[in-house]
Amino acid sequence: MRLTARLGARLGHVGAFVWSGWAGISGLALFAAVWQAGHEVYGNFILSAPAATVGAAATILTEADNLALIWDTVRRAAQGFVLAAAVGIVGGLGAGYSAATMRLVRPILTVLLGVPPIAWIVLAMIWFGGSDGTVITTVVVAATPLIFVSVAEGVMTRDRKLDDMATAFGAGPLARLTTLGLRHVLAFLFPALTVALGSAMKVAVMAELLANTGGIGGALAMARANLDVTMALAWVLVAVGGLIVLEYLLVHPVRAEFERWRNASRPWGVKR
Amino acid sequence: MASALTPAALTLDNVGYAYLGRTVLDRIDLTLAPGEVVALVGPSGCGKSTLAHIAAGVLEPRHGHLERSYRRHGMVFQEARLMPWATTRENIAYPLRLAGVSRRDRAARAEAAAARVALDIRDLDKYPAELSGGMMQRAAIARALVAEPDFVYFDEPFTALDVALKRRMQNLVIEASRALHFGALFITHDLSEAVRVAHRIAVMDLHGRGIVGDRLLPGMPGDRDEATVYTLAAALAKDPAFRHIHDVDERRLP
Ligand SMILES: Nc1ncnc2c1ncn2[C@@H]1O[C@H](COP(=O)(O)OP(=O)(O)OP(=O)(O)O)[C@@H](O)[C@H]1O
Ligand SMILES: [Mg+2]
Repeated sequence: MRLTARLGARLGHVGAFVWSGWAGISGLALFAAVWQAGHEVYGNFILSAPAATVGAAATILTEADNLALIWDTVRRAAQGFVLAAAVGIVGGLGAGYSAATMRLVRPILTVLLGVPPIAWIVLAMIWFGGSDGTVITTVVVAATPLIFVSVAEGVMTRDRKLDDMATAFGAGPLARLTTLGLRHVLAFLFPALTVALGSAMKVAVMAELLANTGGIGGALAMARANLDVTMALAWVLVAVGGLIVLEYLLVHPVRAEFERWRNASRPWGVKR
Repeated sequence: MASALTPAALTLDNVGYAYLGRTVLDRIDLTLAPGEVVALVGPSGCGKSTLAHIAAGVLEPRHGHLERSYRRHGMVFQEARLMPWATTRENIAYPLRLAGVSRRDRAARAEAAAARVALDIRDLDKYPAELSGGMMQRAAIARALVAEPDFVYFDEPFTALDVALKRRMQNLVIEASRALHFGALFITHDLSEAVRVAHRIAVMDLHGRGIVGDRLLPGMPGDRDEATVYTLAAALAKDPAFRHIHDVDERRLP
């Protein structure tokens, strides 16, 4: 009985989620319409038709060689992203809980954030040559500061009265961190992770293109060399599509699960 | 109740505290016998909450020392202090989670504690934002009682409630204290509340410089009828030791 009830609730969530996707689909349809209009004005050489581009993207996805290229990019972006998340979360927790660390790190962060990503790519190319390291380093450098700052901000805005409450009930520092601190930080971490995931993909493609290390970026460079607009757009479509799939299949459902309580203070309440 | 043989449940000996160099508590001596409910009264800002936080181990005293010989304590704060992201059930069960009780036992014991404070089982799946003020405070009381403490700190738990609900909550605390045999330090600045719930009333100095006096109340909490409570509170209000709380209450009138 309980299981079916739970299953029902879960299906309900999924249903609500799919329903909320309609707005997104309408938006995309509008975008495609504008694209088609542009194609009709400027012709195939400048802007290929959306349908043709989607077709080309579909062809890309059927070829094993191309899938390997996509996998290269995704793997590098994912490695960089995971590394950035690890460094950012640990560092952010440290800085959030220790004011001294925060004071020490803040100027460094300001300097790091001031360096344009393209400069990092150049440096990484000198250090790592045309290897994975170039791409991964660039991704880490691009994605870490945001995660770091968000986590630190989460820790610093935690409710100290809840911490005192936990202490009164016998919680040590570790128990306070795991039961209160991390839970509060999640609300700050999720948006940061979403943005970082997107920038990881984008920076990875950019680094690949500039460092000529294959992957989607390499394929884009090739399309540019051949002046093949359809192919270039198709690769862009593949990259964007991958990101959207990742975001809506993974990030949003997980976040919705953790943020359910927020609906409690909204007019429509919690969907149960 | 206080016997020379049994050790005190809680002893504060010459306790002092300062926030950033500003002394808020000084030379506090207070002893509570096992099972004894002591009401601590004093005007707003005299340091009652600070004292409760020190006694419950949230703050470290700057001077003096304290001894707790009870087994385990619970605490109800001036505000409910519920975790906004957790359901009422999870909030009530929080001390059990800290104590490492299994998830299944936690749910059952949280429900029992909720029943004790007359919280409907259907409300246990709600989040704190969906509860009324009185329900939140009841959840906070259930949380304080869930781990079966033998001592409970109450820090002005009912200040924000209306008269009728306040009365119900006071009865609830009295009954729970009898049924579960816990002693308590009950902080309030309402004399009739103190008279209703406590065995003894201690008065704190206007500036936290010591406990200026204490009065043992006749009879048992819960056995005193309305007339008795009224007479006792009126008599205490004329007591010189209680004069300064009375002053503050007068000043509070619009
Ligand atoms: N975190 C803090 N930092 C600095 N000063 C504080 C802090 N908390 C309390 N104080 C000060 O300590 C004094 C005692 O505060 P406390 O909260 O213990 O009073 P109280 O007797 O509980 O008052 P009330 O009846 O209004 O709850 C007050 O003067 C207050 O300004
Ligand atoms: Mg107080």
